Amino acid sequence: MINSILRYGGIFIILILLQVLFFNNIQFSGYVNPYVYIMFILLLPVVMPTWILLIIAFFTGLTVDLFSGTPGMHAGATVMAGFVRPYILRIIAPRDGYEPGASPSMVIYGFRWFLIYTTLIATTHHFILFFLEVFRFTDFLRTMLRILLSSAMTITFILLAEYYRKGR
Amino acid sequence: MRNLLTFLARFNNLILFLLLEVIAVYLVATSNDYHNSRMVKGVRGVTLVAEKKITDSRNYFRLRKINSDLAEENAALRNNFERLVQADTIHVFSVSDTILKQQYEYITSEIVSNSVNRQKNFFTVNKGSSQGVKTDMAVISPDGVAGIIVSTSENYSVAMSLLNIDFRLSSRIKSSGYFGSLTWDGRDYRYALLNDIPQHVVINEGDTVETTSYSAIFPGGIMVGIISEFERSGSDFYKIRVTLSTDFRKLSPVTIIKNIRQEEQINLESLNQ
Repeated sequence: MINSILRYGGIFIILILLQVLFFNNIQFSGYVNPYVYIMFILLLPVVMPTWILLIIAFFTGLTVDLFSGTPGMHAGATVMAGFVRPYILRIIAPRDGYEPGASPSMVIYGFRWFLIYTTLIATTHHFILFFLEVFRFTDFLRTMLRILLSSAMTITFILLAEYYRKGR
Repeated sequence: MRNLLTFLARFNNLILFLLLEVIAVYLVATSNDYHNSRMVKGVRGVTLVAEKKITDSRNYFRLRKINSDLAEENAALRNNFERLVQADTIHVFSVSDTILKQQYEYITSEIVSNSVNRQKNFFTVNKGSSQGVKTDMAVISPDGVAGIIVSTSENYSVAMSLLNIDFRLSSRIKSSGYFGSLTWDGRDYRYALLNDIPQHVVINEGDTVETTSYSAIFPGGIMVGIISEFERSGSDFYKIRVTLSTDFRKLSPVTIIKNIRQEEQINLESLNQ
């Protein structure tokens, strides 16, 4: 238990630092902003109380908000991602179910499963985040384009990180 | 209570989710100026639409009251209007004549009766002594000379029209400056005669005839008419017919001119005679 808390603490710090120091500074032509920190939400144990998940998600988002100067936006998007996560996990559950206590990983459930999982949650998160950012529905298509491009970028980075984690 | 607790227990995740989202949106809306203004704008838009609907329907149900209010107001205004029409409105305005250093006071008024077909024509104007009209004031129309006030009552004045065989008006030819006496011969209301212009003066048909200020009644330079024809008679003077610029048949708005220094001028002149 202590061990896993420390492990997740380490992942949290690394992802937040990566996000704040590196990915926040990547902005390809104003469209592409990867938000890799949501990988932390992805990696939380499959079976866990939803309320803990929501609170963790909220504070993860709030932490990124504090560093990005965008109070509330990431918190709202990440809470949404945390909220939909159990449903997505249920929908894409493998035939023999999840191992209790395991965290979602490419090694256990395969690349395809992990790709779908990441895509769904990242897109949801980005959808909420970008619409919270522009806060209007005019330029809808422009916002959708930003969401799709950024989601693709985020997913790519998360898959790369997962590969790295797997190899370790 | 039990049901409520089970309800809360069942939907605790949803409630927590909504709570956290509300906090997030609250943070977004309050911490960023842009989001704040968008939020206020949106909320204002919604409330404005609702308020407009409410006001519209409320006004619809109040139409009967509004109608009767308007009818009452109409009646009150009509009463006021009647009173105003009967009341005397006094319009007095002053003009400082800088050329002649002479100040005239102008009183606007309307003709209430007029005639052109007698030998001694008079007209009546609706301003009298209580509005400051006195005898020997000049009366002009927008086009030119009209007459001279000869008697006043409290609210009306009678003026001797230019179309009166007793009327004498000191007037001059504008181009040359020679002055003479303008009279009416009692025939045609459109024409008057200009006498006492010596024959050596060069005059032309169409020359303008205007008033002089010699009589201390009219200001100088008021249009009288234009010379329509002239002939050399056996005497030393021309016989000049002047087409009057004022159409006495449709004389309606006139201005009464008060010469403030009239007394001074007359007194001074009488001393030297």
